[in-house]
Amino acid sequence: MASITAAPTAVSRGLLGCECCGLVSEVIKAANSARCPRCGFALHARKPQSLQRTTAYLMSAVVLYLPANTLPIMATASAITGRESHTILGGIIELWHTGSWDLALIVFIASIAVPILKIAALTLLAFTAWRQSRWRQLERAKLYRLIETVGHWSMLDVFVVVLLVGMVRFGAFASVEPGAGLLAFGGVVVLTMLASASFDPRLIWPEPASHD
Amino acid sequence: MQSTVRRALSGLGLVDRQPAVRAHPELVACEECDAVYTRRSLSAGELARCARCASVLGRGHLLAVDGQLALASGALVVFVLGNVSDIVTLDLRGVHSQVTLWESIWFTWLSGQQVVALLAGATAFAFPLAVILLRLYVLTPLAAGRRVRGFVPAMRALRWVTRWSMVEVFLFGTLVAIVKIAGLASVVPGVGIFSFGVLTLLLAANQAAGLHGIWHRAATLPP
Repeated sequence: MASITAAPTAVSRGLLGCECCGLVSEVIKAANSARCPRCGFALHARKPQSLQRTTAYLMSAVVLYLPANTLPIMATASAITGRESHTILGGIIELWHTGSWDLALIVFIASIAVPILKIAALTLLAFTAWRQSRWRQLERAKLYRLIETVGHWSMLDVFVVVLLVGMVRFGAFASVEPGAGLLAFGGVVVLTMLASASFDPRLIWPEPASHD
Repeated sequence: MQSTVRRALSGLGLVDRQPAVRAHPELVACEECDAVYTRRSLSAGELARCARCASVLGRGHLLAVDGQLALASGALVVFVLGNVSDIVTLDLRGVHSQVTLWESIWFTWLSGQQVVALLAGATAFAFPLAVILLRLYVLTPLAAGRRVRGFVPAMRALRWVTRWSMVEVFLFGTLVAIVKIAGLASVVPGVGIFSFGVLTLLLAANQAAGLHGIWHRAATLPP
């Protein structure tokens, strides 16, 4: 572990890596707003107010999570079955019963597992970063990378409903309408993506000297 | 006049005001943990990982700039095709219904969920289109050994739209939607869905190496 914590970092050598273009710059005279000489992006050792912004987006996502899962994301009307409302979980159960267990599993992962994973993981990451914890840093770095990679897949159900609305237009025979739950669900997806974009993964690796 | 423009650009952060920083292009800092390394050019297909946090520092792209340009041009063709073609054709007891991406978004808008329609339109249409056009804009002159005017804002915009472009999720959404209505009506996949499939592959290949390579290459060229 000693070799890991002793890694030479940009900050410890008076350097700043640009978050936008990747260029490493040396800060010659201390300025409040150093900018990357190549792309003009503001240079920071860590993203400013990263934890505050992550927490704010995360809390908004948690608030929207409840209506997203309890309100119907769509309503179907058909001459045979009448009018029915569907929630996210209801749609998955329906897929399961019609024999598409594989798709039911994928939608379950995208719509239920990924949002919960994102909210739980970001809570853990923000809390441990706030404590400047050195607990399981490599695993936390990988967890961050995982939620950055899978984050946008939760949008799946939004696209499914939008497409069904476009496809099923048979007037009195059959039609599909989007519901209010879909708006809340889309909000959860966008807010959790903003939360993970606001989180600075470099906070997982606090500098030894940053305790002052 | 020129100084006024320069000051305005400086206000926007496009030109540095004073040289308070000195560039070190020979170094690489890990974006995820800030560890510093000396830059080394990577051969095609080679992957450089951070020794501390194992994140990808850089990737030697299998394709040179002209190859990437070809991928982006191909992506534009299938993008247009995917958006003008029907995704599926439905047949409900002789009644036919065809749908494109735009019709789906439009009917979502009409049914009262305008925000959802905008969200879908942005992530499945506007941002992917912006990714393709910005890549073409940046890469076309780069393949000829020039740096395009507005290279910096274009690259910064590209970084942003790439994050919010969700063609692959949209493609998967069409497959789930088809399975969901298969019990109601018979479904014939259209040209649109195959176009989006190819588009997903082309964009993934295009984005595999990230943007830092383009930044680095352009830095060696005259503006």
